[in-house]
Amino acid sequence: MNISVQGLTKKFGSFFALENVSLDIHSGELVALLGPSGSGKTTLLRVIAGLETPDAGSVLFHGEDAGARPARDRGVGFVFQHYALFRHMTVFENVAFGLRVQPRRTRPGEAEIRARVLELLRLVQLDWLGDRYPAQLSGGQRQRIALARALAVKPNVLLLDEPFGALDAKVRKELRRWLRRLHDDIHITSVFVTHDQDEALEVADRVVVMNEGVIEQVGTPEEVYDRPATPFVYSFLGDVNLFHGRLEAGRMRIGEHEVEAPEWSEAPDGAALAYVRNYEVDLAPASDGGLAMGAIVRRVRRLGSVVRLELDREEDGKVIEAELTRGRHEELGVVKGDRVFISPRKVRVFLEPS
Amino acid sequence: MTFSSDLTLPENALRGYRARAGGESRLVRRLLIAGAIGFLGLFVFVPLVAVFAQALGKGLSSYLRGISDPDTLTAIKLTLLTAGVAVPLNLIFGIAAAWAIAKFEFRGKNVLIALIDLPFAVSPVISGMIFVLLFGAQGWFGRWLQDHDIKIIFALPGIILATTFVTFPFVARELIPLMQEQGTEEEEAALVLGASGWQTFLRVTLPNIKWGLLYGVILSNARAMGEFGAVSVVSGHIRGVTTTLPLQIEILYNEYNFTAAFAAATLLTFLALITLVIKRVVEARV
Repeated sequence: MNISVQGLTKKFGSFFALENVSLDIHSGELVALLGPSGSGKTTLLRVIAGLETPDAGSVLFHGEDAGARPARDRGVGFVFQHYALFRHMTVFENVAFGLRVQPRRTRPGEAEIRARVLELLRLVQLDWLGDRYPAQLSGGQRQRIALARALAVKPNVLLLDEPFGALDAKVRKELRRWLRRLHDDIHITSVFVTHDQDEALEVADRVVVMNEGVIEQVGTPEEVYDRPATPFVYSFLGDVNLFHGRLEAGRMRIGEHEVEAPEWSEAPDGAALAYVRNYEVDLAPASDGGLAMGAIVRRVRRLGSVVRLELDREEDGKVIEAELTRGRHEELGVVKGDRVFISPRKVRVFLEPS
Repeated sequence: MTFSSDLTLPENALRGYRARAGGESRLVRRLLIAGAIGFLGLFVFVPLVAVFAQALGKGLSSYLRGISDPDTLTAIKLTLLTAGVAVPLNLIFGIAAAWAIAKFEFRGKNVLIALIDLPFAVSPVISGMIFVLLFGAQGWFGRWLQDHDIKIIFALPGIILATTFVTFPFVARELIPLMQEQGTEEEEAALVLGASGWQTFLRVTLPNIKWGLLYGVILSNARAMGEFGAVSVVSGHIRGVTTTLPLQIEILYNEYNFTAAFAAATLLTFLALITLVIKRVVEARV
C-alpha cells in the first residue's frame, strides 16, 4: 500500500500544526517522521490514520482518496505513544479486540481468533503473557502487545507514534532493532514518529525531517545526514558548531578567516551560516590558514570511545565543541588551558534565511 | 461512618507527634476521639435510634399497620416509580454530558460544566418553583398544556421532572473527572481497530467507568427517593395520589400520627443505610 499525502494543512486555533505538507510513502517502506516536539509529525501521522481531519489537502491510499473513510475503515494499525492498551482486558483479549469487533459476516470463528492471537503473541515473543493485564507488564512488553494488537487486523499500513519514547535506553535499543527485523520479515508499509535522530537514522529506510509544520527534507538516512538540505536539518541531525559570516563571491568570511564555498559562487553576496559537525572539528598546535581559529581548551571529557572538548574562541569568546577519537586526543595530548587552532575537516555553508 | 476514616492521621505524623509531646498527647488524642464519637453519637446515631424507637414504640403490629396504610403504600410506589424513571434518565444524560465534556473540545464547554452544577447550587424549593413557573396554570406553557389537557404540575410528570432536575449532577459529576483522567487514547485505539462508536462505548468506555457510574447511580437514587423540597412544590400534596414517601411522612407527622410517620421514615432510613453499605463497597473499587 503506498500512501500519498498532498498539500495537507491542519490548524489548531491559530497554530499551524501542518502547513501545505506533501509526501509520498512507497509500498513496503519503513519511513521515519523526525522532528522536535511541535513540528507536526504526530499530527501528520494522526491525519494519515484518520484520527484528525485536515483543514486542507488529502491523503491517498493506493491513489484512492481516504478522506471520506473514517479511521475504522482505513485498514491502518496504530501504535500509540503510551500504548493505549485496554486496561480492563487481558493481553489475549487486547490482541483479539480488532477481530472480535468485526461485523458478523467477516468475523473469524473463535478457534481462528485464538490461533491468530497466539500466532501474534509468538511473533512478539510474549505468548506466555496472554492471561495478564496491561498493568502487570513492563513498558517494553506493553509496547510489543500494542504492536501485536495493531497487526491482528492485518492492516495495510502500520503507524507508530513515538514507539520507543517511554522506554529506558537499553530496552529502546533492543526494540528498535527488533522492529527493523520485524519489518524486514513482514514488509508492511510503516511510518513511525520520533524525535530521536539516532532512532530515525538507524531504523528507517527513509527519513522525513519536519520542523514547524513543514517538511525540511526527505531522504535516506545517508542523504539527510551527509547532505542536509537546510540549516535546520544540519543542526538537528547531530551536534554542530555554527559560525555567522558573509558570503562574497563564493568565499565565506568569518571574522578574519575565510573558507571556500564554491557551491555558492553564483549566489549574491550576503549573510551566511557555516556549520561544522563536532566530530569534524580537528585541532592543530599551529595555524594552517583557512578557518584555523585560535582557541583555549576549557573542558575535556572522556566518554567511552570519544573525547569531547569545549573550547573558547580567542576572537569573540564563543564556545566551540569538538569531538575527537581517543587515539587522536592522545596523539595531540591537549589538556585544559592549552592554546590550539581549530581546523575543520568539513564546512557546510548556507545562505542565512532572511 | 466515613467521618472516622477522614480523621485518621498518617502513621508517621502521629508517631512524631507522640514522641514530641510525650504523655500529654495521649490525653489530647483521647479527647479528640471522644469528641468526634460524642458528636457523631449525638447528631447521627441518637436520631437514627430515635426513628426506630418511635416507629416500634407501640409494638410491631402498629409498626406494620403504619407501613401498610394504603396511602403509605401508594407513596412507596410513587417514590419507586419516580426514582425508576429519574435515575435511568440521569444515567443516560450523565454519561452523555460527561462523555462530551471529557472527550471533546468545543465552544461553551465551561458553560455546560457550570450548568451541570446548577441543581446543586440552587435550593430545591427554587428548583420546584422553576417547574411551576414553566408548567403551572399561570406559567409560560400553562395555557397550552391546559388546552391539550396535559397535566404536569400537581401530577406525576412534575414530580419526575423536579426529581430528575435535582439529581442531575450526581452521575455527571462522578464521571467527568474519571473520564478526563482516562483520556481518549483507548477509544481512539478501538476506533482504529475497526470498532464502531457503539462497540467502542460498550467494550472500552463503559467497562472503564463502570464503578464510577455505579457510585453516581447509587447517590443519585438515594437523593431521588429522599427528595423533599422540589417535589413538595410541584406535587400539590394530593393524598394517596401525588405524595411521595418523604411527603407522606410529613403529612402523617403533621397529623400527629407519629407511629405511622416514623414507620414510614424507617423505610427511608433503611434505604440510606443500604446506600451507605453499597457506597463503601463500590468506593473500594473505584
